[in-house]
Amino acid sequence: MHSAKINMREEDLKNIWNNSTQVPEISIDVHSLIDEMNIKISSLQKKIRLRDIREIAASIIGIIIYSYLLYEVPFPLTKLASILSILWFITVILLFTKSRLDNAENGLLLSVQEQLVQQKNLMCKQVKLINLAAYWYSIPSFIINLIFIVGLESPSDYSWTNKIANSVLPLSMNMKAVTLIGLVFFYAFIIWINKRALSRDLKPILAKIVLIQTSIKE
Amino acid sequence: MTNTFDREFEDILEKNKLKIFRICKIYAVNPIEPQDLFQEVILQIWISLGKYQGKSTIDTWVYKIALNVCMRSKMKLNRSNEQTGRFESIHFLAAENQIDHSDDLKFKYLQECIKTLNSVDASLMVLHLDDLPYKKIAVITGLTENHIAVKMKRIRKTLMECIQPKLI
Repeated sequence: MHSAKINMREEDLKNIWNNSTQVPEISIDVHSLIDEMNIKISSLQKKIRLRDIREIAASIIGIIIYSYLLYEVPFPLTKLASILSILWFITVILLFTKSRLDNAENGLLLSVQEQLVQQKNLMCKQVKLINLAAYWYSIPSFIINLIFIVGLESPSDYSWTNKIANSVLPLSMNMKAVTLIGLVFFYAFIIWINKRALSRDLKPILAKIVLIQTSIKE
Repeated sequence: MTNTFDREFEDILEKNKLKIFRICKIYAVNPIEPQDLFQEVILQIWISLGKYQGKSTIDTWVYKIALNVCMRSKMKLNRSNEQTGRFESIHFLAAENQIDHSDDLKFKYLQECIKTLNSVDASLMVLHLDDLPYKKIAVITGLTENHIAVKMKRIRKTLMECIQPKLI
């Protein structure tokens, strides 16, 4: 009797769910929709390509500038810093490319549980990447810039003639100290921005995924 | 070839659009509206259709995409459906009988109660209300049939406790 009553209620719920007029009539012009979707897909692909180009272009410009400095500037420490900078920019490009490949699979055809695992792994990778960006991008970059600035000597000691260099160099110790302090603040700001993105955006999402995964096991 | 593909897509939409929209209504969280989520699900079905290998039935496949898109949106994992224009070729025609109709009021209560469940429990309830057998629900969610049975017992109780006082 009790069981029949429960079944009855369930059937009621199913009827309410399936027959409500609260779900609107949906009319779709499929041919126009396909055109609209193809336009949207092309526009999304274009946006992704532009984003990729932007991310890599900054590093390529960096490589070109430091290659020129490596060729032009005669100071040994500055040359070393230029070589390290070029290597650093190449590493950044490789890391971006790898991260892009990792994010390419959308996982929508997986089961709900598998998709949560995939999203969690992806989030963990992004958290790792941002942590990496905060410390392992900023600190080496800071050290390279530090070597570059400390290595700036007097052009006349190397018989180097360059209009801009002659007007700026040699830097006084005070000027080098001020520039380095400026750099410290700049990189501290970069680390702070990354940490903020981590705690405001990624960590709450990761926590939500873990919460759902825990609720599945209950 | 393209025509067959288009026809298959049209067929999928025709058979599943209401089911998809009901799911979207459960998972849409302000500022995302069910219509936005519906559009995103349809777009993902179109993008993924070429990958359909027939290993599962087409409705199981559609449910997977719909639930994954909706759950991602709720977790704010999906940014592609935010602040984008709606497709002009999809029209949502408001139902003639509005909220004063008792069935619609019941549907509203049912929706509210399902929304109080966590994302996975809500998905199990939605699939159950759509009359899917546990075997299919297991394929869609990745849980075992036994696990689903145990969870459903509890979810059913929670849902009844939520909806019954509202119906009195």
